[in-house]
Amino acid sequence: MNLLKKEFRLCMHPIAPMMLCLSALILVPAYPYAITCFYMTLAIFFTCLSSRENHDAAYTACLPVSRRDMVRSRMGLACILEGVQLLACLGFVFLRPLTGSTENSAGMDANLAVIAEGLIVFGLFNALFFPRWYKDITKVGLPFIIAGAAVFLYITLSIVSTYAVPFVRDVLDTPDPEHLTEKLIFLACAGALYAALTLLSFRLSVRRFEQVDLQL
Amino acid sequence: MAKNDAPLSVRGLCKKYPAFTLDSVTFDLTPGAITGFIGRNGAGKTTTLNAILSFIKPDGGEVLFSGLSMADHAAEIKQKIGFVSAGMAYYTGKKLKTITDVTRAFYPAWDGAAYQKYMGRFGLDESKTPASLSNGMKIKYALALALSHGAELMLLDEPTSGLDPVSREELIEIFLALKDEGKTILFSTHITSDLDKCADRILFLQKGRLTADSALNDFIGAYRLASCAGGVPEAAAPCVLGTCRTKDGCTALFKQADAERLSLDCRQPDLEEIMVHLEKEGA
Repeated sequence: MNLLKKEFRLCMHPIAPMMLCLSALILVPAYPYAITCFYMTLAIFFTCLSSRENHDAAYTACLPVSRRDMVRSRMGLACILEGVQLLACLGFVFLRPLTGSTENSAGMDANLAVIAEGLIVFGLFNALFFPRWYKDITKVGLPFIIAGAAVFLYITLSIVSTYAVPFVRDVLDTPDPEHLTEKLIFLACAGALYAALTLLSFRLSVRRFEQVDLQL
Repeated sequence: MAKNDAPLSVRGLCKKYPAFTLDSVTFDLTPGAITGFIGRNGAGKTTTLNAILSFIKPDGGEVLFSGLSMADHAAEIKQKIGFVSAGMAYYTGKKLKTITDVTRAFYPAWDGAAYQKYMGRFGLDESKTPASLSNGMKIKYALALALSHGAELMLLDEPTSGLDPVSREELIEIFLALKDEGKTILFSTHITSDLDKCADRILFLQKGRLTADSALNDFIGAYRLASCAGGVPEAAAPCVLGTCRTKDGCTALFKQADAERLSLDCRQPDLEEIMVHLEKEGA
């Protein structure tokens, strides 16, 4: 808990709360909404970047904590930011009908499936970014480029699927509460995928970080 | 004193890099003493400290803190040690107060009164950020944090590097005061004149190997320095440990016994002269 407090007070980049505000892009009629989640991954990247510049690893390694705890707190911060971002998106999904329509010509409509897509975006990011970063915490750019490329590939496929895949087009890309059961199942599957990818990422990150030499 | 009762006991510490090897470093720290850890840049001082603190994984050897290994008792050990490194400024944009608030939560034995005492003694203002502090003040802040959580063993990595003479003198006075309070200090530096003023023992590291581990006076007393205007006398040449050019000729370092046997006109060198001559010989 103390480490998590440290993450929020000393490490979290100030851009993170600003990225939360970008959840409001769900109110825009034509916008690939999953990208709002990408913005939060950018905030996580900046947090890791500024941690490196502020010698966070050296400070934390001197504290009476294990390397496993160090990984857990950083990924815990990421998961909290991701969760808050999804909650903010959910709020705007509920608000969107007040604009008169939930339709979106640039991908998934503003509905529950957008939250599921967000979970997949974050799961992919966690799985690809953290294990690579914890292999060498002095190199934060390349892990982000690789994770970001995967996220954008997924978002592109997601947009294409709203036109090309009948199930996505006719069932998921519809206004709520149409096909609510299918959307909730999609959401549950995305949640499970997020949990599995993040847990796998955590274990791999710990294993790598425990072996790495910290050049302080 | 049993070996593993030492505040820090290092046994056969090894670490291999492509261009450098830390070769079986072994020493014990004496409780309540200042031990100078000397060697030229790249000798392996920081590597040794990083391995001691488990920042890097040694390829071999054992490190015990009062008989406890870091691998099994990391949290317990870190409650009792303080690590201060020159030029290492954490969270440069955050106020000292914020950093302190976060730090103290990790230490049940945190002593708020001691913290205030050291902040006052070092002239530190909590509303400032590390970015606005001089290098000397950053070191003092790191010391204040370490001392406030009850550190008994201080590991100092080049704490006086880059400081002006007055700031260095201030820090040395602080280290001596800490020694008077019973703290054990391992003081890594290549500025040996600082150790002349405060160290009780000397560890000398050369190219990754510990070549001396003795009391400061014994270490210095074991050598003699001769000024040779016309070069080193032929009879003395086999006993020379190292030479340095001077504007009048050269100086040559000898073992004290050799200098007496050869009846050379010598004086006692200081730590820096010994280190420089020995390093030049090894180069």
